[in-house]
Amino acid sequence: MAGKLPKLLIIDDDAHLRESLAEVLELDGFECHQAGDAGKGISEAGKVNPDVVIMDIQLPDSSGFQICQELRKRSKTTILIMMTGRFLSAEEKKQGFELGADEYITKPFDLAELSVRIKQLLSRNKV
Amino acid sequence: MPVTSRRGGKLAYKILFWFLLISLAPMGLVGYHLINISQASLRKETLAMQESLAVGFADTVYKYVTTFKNVLTETSGLEDFAGMNPIKQQQYLNRIMQVHLAVLELSVVNAQGVEVLRTGRFLSASPEMRKFTTDEFFNETMTRGQYVGKLERFQGLYPALTIAVGIMDPKAASPKPVGVLEGKISLNGLSSMLSMEFPPAGKSAAAVVAPDGFLIAHSNPKEVYKPDARLSDDVLKIITTQMNDKGGGEIQLPDGSKLLGAYSDVKDLGWVVYVQQPLETAYQTAAEMRTQILRVLVWVVIFVFLLSWAVAGFISQPIRVLREAADRLGKGQFEDLPEIMMTNDEIGELAQTFLTMSDSLREKTGELIHAKGELEKYGKDLQRRVEARTRELKAAQDELIKKERLAAMGQMASVVGHEIRNPLAVINNSIYFIKTKLGPVLEGEQKIAKHIKIIESEIQGANDIINQILDYARDRQLKLERVSLNAWVDDLLGAYPFPAHIRVEKSLTPVNPTVEIDVAEMKQAVRNLIGNGIEVMPPPQGGAVRIRTGIADDGSAVIEVGDTGPGIPADVREKLFTAFFTTKARGTGLGLAVVRKVMDRHRGRVELDSAVGKGTIFRLFLPQAAAPK
Repeated sequence: MAGKLPKLLIIDDDAHLRESLAEVLELDGFECHQAGDAGKGISEAGKVNPDVVIMDIQLPDSSGFQICQELRKRSKTTILIMMTGRFLSAEEKKQGFELGADEYITKPFDLAELSVRIKQLLSRNKV
Repeated sequence: MPVTSRRGGKLAYKILFWFLLISLAPMGLVGYHLINISQASLRKETLAMQESLAVGFADTVYKYVTTFKNVLTETSGLEDFAGMNPIKQQQYLNRIMQVHLAVLELSVVNAQGVEVLRTGRFLSASPEMRKFTTDEFFNETMTRGQYVGKLERFQGLYPALTIAVGIMDPKAASPKPVGVLEGKISLNGLSSMLSMEFPPAGKSAAAVVAPDGFLIAHSNPKEVYKPDARLSDDVLKIITTQMNDKGGGEIQLPDGSKLLGAYSDVKDLGWVVYVQQPLETAYQTAAEMRTQILRVLVWVVIFVFLLSWAVAGFISQPIRVLREAADRLGKGQFEDLPEIMMTNDEIGELAQTFLTMSDSLREKTGELIHAKGELEKYGKDLQRRVEARTRELKAAQDELIKKERLAAMGQMASVVGHEIRNPLAVINNSIYFIKTKLGPVLEGEQKIAKHIKIIESEIQGANDIINQILDYARDRQLKLERVSLNAWVDDLLGAYPFPAHIRVEKSLTPVNPTVEIDVAEMKQAVRNLIGNGIEVMPPPQGGAVRIRTGIADDGSAVIEVGDTGPGIPADVREKLFTAFFTTKARGTGLGLAVVRKVMDRHRGRVELDSAVGKGTIFRLFLPQAAAPK
């Protein structure tokens, strides 16, 4: 992956969260894009074709799971990470995995851990 | 039951009444007629007897007078006497005077009307001779041969009678009297005879009365000696107006007294014999007879009454017994019924019917009582079930309320958690960015590095609190596992990071019960308790955490977590398990609330035993697991 940074799309209605997360991950070598809602997220994903999408489960115009399902239809390799601020029941988690989610993270995140985890998932995809 | 109805009863009285009416009414009628007839005949007989007494005495009076007339006639008819020889005549006269005491005086009068002989009881030896030429008795005798005079009073006192007969010469051709033999006889003898027949002391009286009412004789001789002695005009008037020569009847005197009187004329003399007695004396026999009959009647009535009473009692006895039995039945007493006689009649049939009825009634009542008992049993059972169900419902309601409250809290916690976690995440990201960006610069800037660490620590603290709240509010499924309590507690204690100033005292029951628990939740509960214990025993002195397992009286498995801390004041204990209640300077107040929630979810309970200054013991009660299938 010489010279080509992995592309990462963050979908969250909280601009501060988006930006802070993006900038932290840019430090770790990701090319970060952002979207404030589901609709923008879908179109942005269509333009950018990201390697990783981190999206909030609750979005103003849609459920994160619906975007997850939509994005998974378009690409089987894109890494889909769901963000949540609350506990998810086992049932919810299972449903999410079935719809194509790869990972769940709970706010606030351990960013070092997150970065390592994304890189690990990306390297597995390459293989 | 009143005593009167026990003895008689209306039926007995009715029977008695009709029995008496039927038996006594004809008898009373017959008795009445009998008395009337007997009275009438007795009175008639009494009157007849009195009449016959009068007739008989009239005859006696007649004979009394006739006897003297005959004596005189016989004497005058003697030859010696007709010869008018005074000496012989005197002898005869003396003889008569001796024999017949009633003769008061005797005189011989010659044909010329001159008295030639005179002898008498109250005369001197040579009494004065009288001349009777014009006297009625002389002329009557001389012409008709005899004379019976009217009543006169000898010496103005004694009732006397002059009788004269002619002295006939048997040798003379023509029957012309040669003289007259005249005698004066006392009628006192009649009174004596009457008084013998009717004693003056008795109630009857009899009298011989001249037509003009003067008394000739009386059963009480004293009456006769009264001057001017007469029969009472009232009686005399009745007697003198009678047409028959004898008769009698009841006489009512003006003074009101009643008499029974009878009379009879004396033949030839024109006198009347009168016999009287008071009516009550006369009718005494009749009265006695009536009394006798009445007495008999009374006895008969009493006898019939008693007989009727007995018969009525006898007839009504079984009915009375039946009624008594029915009374008892009515009160629901089926035992000790009076013995019922089974007579061979309608009453017997009634008794039979009654017995059948009482049997049926007993049976039905038994069924009723049984049914009532069943009903009561069902009622109690129902009540018990309703109460149990009510308790269940109440518990369910409480549970529901608790769940709703938890759900609401969960809702709130979810929102709050999410909304706070977002900014926390942003802060966390930013501080990470700063820390990463500064990198090696921070090594020279120790204070900035320290403050970044402080921010990171506080973010972690806030996140812990949010986690606790969300954990408490979360409604997750229990994952029950069978565990051996002692082993489970051992593992828990082994993994718990006890600080150095805390002693751990462990005492596990040899019974070692098996329980079904959600291991994660129960661990959280026990760890909360241990954590609390450690917190109240800060260094340097520290203290002991005492862990015990055991079996409670109700069979529950018990985990005890005790400390030797300051204890919990009584006023705080009640609120201790309420969510968000805390006595600590920092704390969510959820530790014990989580304990209680966990125990509730395990159908157990938590109890607290605390003494201020000595320490606190929390006991977790868990139902023992059923034996594995």
